Amino acid sequence: MPKTKSKRQQQIEAVALYPVDWLEERSGLIGGLRYFLFRKVPAETNWFHTLGSATLTAFIVQAVTGVILAMYYKPSAELNPETGKPIAYESIETITNDLTLGWLVRGMHRWGASVFIILLFLHMGRVFLFGAYKYPRELNWLVGAVLLLMAMGEGLTGYLLPWDQTSYWATVVAININANAPIAGPFLGDFLRGGQEIGSETLTRFYSLHMLVIPGGLAGLIALHLYLVVRLGITPPPWTKAAGGYEAQPNGGRPARTGLVNPSPRGNGNGGRERRES
Amino acid sequence: MASKEQREQFKLYKEDVERRGKQFYPYAMFHDTIMSFVVVSVIAALAAVWYFTAEETAGEAGVLGPRYAEPADPATTSFVPRPDWYFYFLFYLLRIFKWPESVILGTVGIPTILMMLLFALPFLDRRRERRIVRRPVAVVVALMVIASMGILTYKGATAEEPSATSGEALLVGNDMPTDDEQVVAGADLFAKVGCLNCHAYGSQGADGPGPDVSEVGDQGKGEEYWVQWIRNPQSLKPGTSMPAFPNLTDEQLQNLAVFLEASKSGGGGG
Amino acid sequence: MADELERPGENGESQDPAAHLPAPSIWPFGFALGVALVLVALIISSWVIVAIGAILALVFGFLWIRAATREVRATPPPEPAALTADVEEEEGEEDDGEPRLSRSLFLEGATLGIGAAIGGIVTLPSVGFMVLPAFLDQEYEQIDLGPLESYPRDQWVVAKFRGTQAQPDGVARRTAYIRYNGQQDGTPSFTILSNRCVHLGCPVQPQGLTDEEAQMIETEAGGVELFKMAPSGFGCPCHGGAYDIEGNRTAGPPVRALDRYKYSIHNGRLRLDEPYSVGKVKGTGSDAQIAAYDLVDPGQHVDGPEQFFYPYVP
Repeated sequence: MPKTKSKRQQQIEAVALYPVDWLEERSGLIGGLRYFLFRKVPAETNWFHTLGSATLTAFIVQAVTGVILAMYYKPSAELNPETGKPIAYESIETITNDLTLGWLVRGMHRWGASVFIILLFLHMGRVFLFGAYKYPRELNWLVGAVLLLMAMGEGLTGYLLPWDQTSYWATVVAININANAPIAGPFLGDFLRGGQEIGSETLTRFYSLHMLVIPGGLAGLIALHLYLVVRLGITPPPWTKAAGGYEAQPNGGRPARTGLVNPSPRGNGNGGRERRES
Repeated sequence: MASKEQREQFKLYKEDVERRGKQFYPYAMFHDTIMSFVVVSVIAALAAVWYFTAEETAGEAGVLGPRYAEPADPATTSFVPRPDWYFYFLFYLLRIFKWPESVILGTVGIPTILMMLLFALPFLDRRRERRIVRRPVAVVVALMVIASMGILTYKGATAEEPSATSGEALLVGNDMPTDDEQVVAGADLFAKVGCLNCHAYGSQGADGPGPDVSEVGDQGKGEEYWVQWIRNPQSLKPGTSMPAFPNLTDEQLQNLAVFLEASKSGGGGG
Repeated sequence: MADELERPGENGESQDPAAHLPAPSIWPFGFALGVALVLVALIISSWVIVAIGAILALVFGFLWIRAATREVRATPPPEPAALTADVEEEEGEEDDGEPRLSRSLFLEGATLGIGAAIGGIVTLPSVGFMVLPAFLDQEYEQIDLGPLESYPRDQWVVAKFRGTQAQPDGVARRTAYIRYNGQQDGTPSFTILSNRCVHLGCPVQPQGLTDEEAQMIETEAGGVELFKMAPSGFGCPCHGGAYDIEGNRTAGPPVRALDRYKYSIHNGRLRLDEPYSVGKVKGTGSDAQIAAYDLVDPGQHVDGPEQFFYPYVP
């Protein structure tokens, strides 16, 4: 492939890259992104390692669909005087049956929740089997455990929102389970209910927790989780040589290749990795 | 604190990755992207199957359950609550602890212990060894936790509930003939009196505190016995926790007895 | 920790290498304990404990501030110039380090203190608003259940009614199982059971036939639905709890007997008062001896050794 470019090509390239350079000069964000994309991961990284990013994808699906649902959902336990149904319940009916593609967004949110939890457990199982919670990644395991609990909290609070029989009674039992804890239990129960009985305060309370409090915490902790992954590196599978002793392997890497985003061949010391030790 | 060995090994790992690792983009990210695509497609497909197989009416379930149940009614006397599937293990755990003294074990004790184990794992297992075959204790414990959670989830998912509200539903649900009027009337009473709250009947009813009665006809005790038993169980078996039903008429008791005698293995009900 | 207690106040000559950090002390813990005590006491509305907590918080807070500002107030020891120069770069004076050090300490203390004040002003009301309304002013309303004639003697009925005016109609619906036991010492006697399972709060069902047709009674609070029934006991479909006709547990996980409602008679009409929890019931009907306790959540023991798991109930 001829490397010489016409003057016109160079001009176009300069114009296209101008915003990127502008942003980089003022924020350093491009360098960070490049470091993230072009960092090296163990050569043995395989399909098992995709579970984490798949969980992240499921979370993003939840975030996007959730934000859209919040535009139509009404967290009110009041009865609509015309139909005699609770307003929250009716808004779920409307979203599901009447609004264009509402069924898809609600369906994706509903089933995305299950997929999210399943992927969390699979990801956790992978980390356990690979021993990836060992030094120096203990903290990331703890962050992950908190993420798991928060995800289950999302499941619990979100389950109440349709305000139908299933969700109401599941929440009754769930809150009473919490209220069973010694000493603090009765206080915890009243706090979650917003009173002595489940009522409209419980619904608005759970809505706020489900929409703002827990997702905020989740997003922050996911960022921390990813930061730790990038900083500490990915654990190679325990059955590979690398896991045993890291013997030197000359020419062990893959042959250099050019790609779309990183046009220069690997191994030449450029392609964004020059920033790595800065 | 980390030992010197651990630090050195981690340094070796970093060097090794630097030397012969692959670039995250596009080599590793390619797999991630495909996996994420699969995840999003599965979610959308689940949503579509769920929506298009269920009806607009509340509670009309499709392949993946109904779109929504009836509106919340705190005054209900007939609804049977169920949690979402990932709490099935807890749901079944609560059924296992069926003595008042042990309730707190199921609600608080075991979940708390599991949670503490989860958080303490990296500090309990501090060896460097990561190969699976050389971590027998950790792997066996993990398999046991997974197996018990799996079994509890499965049991919770298939746990029977008193869902039949009429005799026809009860008989049809258990593949039994509905041509004998007395049997149908007895089954109707069985469903409406609340027997299913304590007894399992085939695919329906609670598996406790009372025994499964779907094959009770095999015992060959005769209708007279059942009439007497339901009217006053204490007279036949003192100390039983089965309540007496003196309010049922002779005809109703007779129908129930016929229905119970007709509940045989092979003839359905199992 | 004990060391810190041994040398109070005067000794400003701490040789701590990190001299600009406050020395560790137990005062913050005492302060936190006091604040926690005040909050708990507010919830269980015990003014004595509020006072004790407030005094604790004040005393320990004062001691804490005293300990934390000890170095500022005392003559500071001479410090290596490098440390202070690091902290205060813009200050170009040629002092001997003493005033600069105290100024840096003052700024540090003031920044942290004002920061804490900002945090307090924002957090305390928000947290209080989030938590306290759930505990304060929780009272049960009195519910009119219609004339006494609607309740024939020894006839069980399912009563569905609006339990509170503070909630929208749907959520406020409640169910009770009611039986009129006839006159007891000149006043009518009722057995009124709540349908909330005392295991984990599921709806308890009667074991027996229930009428499908409701008898409607007009009341000011939206009416009462009565269904006649002939129960032999009560059962919970969630986890297999079973109760006898007086609400005593006969099988399964319930930890006490079914909750009951207090009642009173006004102008020949039955009125429901507050609900209460029951340990055990001896006897039946109007002769029943009921071990009554304040209402607690399902799953909480009111008698036996397990009651000590729940020493305070809001």
